[in-house]
Amino acid sequence: MSRPPLSQHTIGPFFPRSFVRPDDNDLARIGAGAPPSTRGERITLRGRVTREAGAACVNALVEAWQADAAGRFRHPADPAHALADPDFLGWGRAATDADGAFEFRSLMPGGYAEGNHHRAPHINLTVMASGLMRPLVTCLFFPDHPAENAGDPVLALVPPAARARLLARPEGLADGSRCFRFDLRLRGGATEETPFFCE
Amino acid sequence: MQPPDRFDPWPEGIEPAVPIPGYANTFTHLPSQPLIRRPATRTEATGPFRLDRKLPCGDDNLAVPGPGRIALGQLIHIAGRVLDEDARPVPGAVVELWQANAAGRYFHPIDTRDAPLDANFIGSGRVLSDAEGRYGFFTIRPGAYPVPGPATWWRPPHVHFSVLGPASLSRLVTQMYFPGDPLNPLDRILMSVPDAAARERLVARLVPPAEVGLGWLGYAFDLVLRGRAATPAMP
Ligand SMILES: [Fe+2]
Repeated sequence: MSRPPLSQHTIGPFFPRSFVRPDDNDLARIGAGAPPSTRGERITLRGRVTREAGAACVNALVEAWQADAAGRFRHPADPAHALADPDFLGWGRAATDADGAFEFRSLMPGGYAEGNHHRAPHINLTVMASGLMRPLVTCLFFPDHPAENAGDPVLALVPPAARARLLARPEGLADGSRCFRFDLRLRGGATEETPFFCE
Repeated sequence: MQPPDRFDPWPEGIEPAVPIPGYANTFTHLPSQPLIRRPATRTEATGPFRLDRKLPCGDDNLAVPGPGRIALGQLIHIAGRVLDEDARPVPGAVVELWQANAAGRYFHPIDTRDAPLDANFIGSGRVLSDAEGRYGFFTIRPGAYPVPGPATWWRPPHVHFSVLGPASLSRLVTQMYFPGDPLNPLDRILMSVPDAAARERLVARLVPPAEVGLGWLGYAFDLVLRGRAATPAMP
């Protein structure tokens, strides 16, 4: 038997504050109150979600998903899932504030081989906001790995002029670990918009 | 159950047509550039393990927030199953529900509309689907509310759902509507779904009282996520 998937709708402006708690934005913690995994380099990711004319998107929901520091997922679709870091979740969510700002904490992801390709270390970000009738998905990369980035099969599909917009920018230290900036421009024309993906 | 490992393109007519005339945010928030089509890699085919440890679940009664307290409005029960495109149950999915109160106002600092709040109704809950994919919430029927702007219209009573399933690609954010509401065919958001049958699937079905009892007006609503098995099991 086959069932068509339900249509998607906007998340609207009123996603409950109670659904986004402190530490939900820490991908290195498997649960509320759990300590962050220490098997990797601790990083902080900060950014803003903006729309046309650079205005802030308030109460947008951003969700992050990535492999552990060795490039593994604790999920049956990863052949090496049994070796994945059991103290690392790889998922987190954050709501944007009045300035459109969000923050995540995590560990630097590892890259992985898949088929004939090699995925460079990356984090998938999903944005849900008022006016978006489907979640927008993008993928951020790190400037540490130019050779891996050059071979990444997803980054290769992005128009060359827009690729730099998928690179997180180093922004000093936060709590003693490296901090990166990655801004999400939802609408801003060909020269400013963040590239977003579909399958 | 094995998680889905095949993600077909969206069938025709299911995805909303955008931008939506009168819904200003669909003009200012949607990217002007086309989405970049990419193959699903392992990152998209996977999702978090035991997400209920991160997002505590079990908060299924929005109508009775505490002993002796009860929300105003028509008491309803919404239940159904989380399924994939092969109609296989999806256990362990995180299902989040939020909605306006009976007067059509959200318990949210951003909703400053001049309609009453209900001290006994916050309007949000989160549950985990069981081994058969079942979920359920006790709540109240929400009120309609107007969308601000020059081309204003009333949103029909609706319930918001967010579902986190077995893969990133099965993430679903949608809304549920009530059968027969006269505002449904006037709603620009519901009507942005081109296919009539797809719109109908966003409308809950009334459940006979024999199945839920007389304490709650029952509605059935299945949450069908993207994804299927590449190699279907033999019957
Ligand atoms: Fe709503």
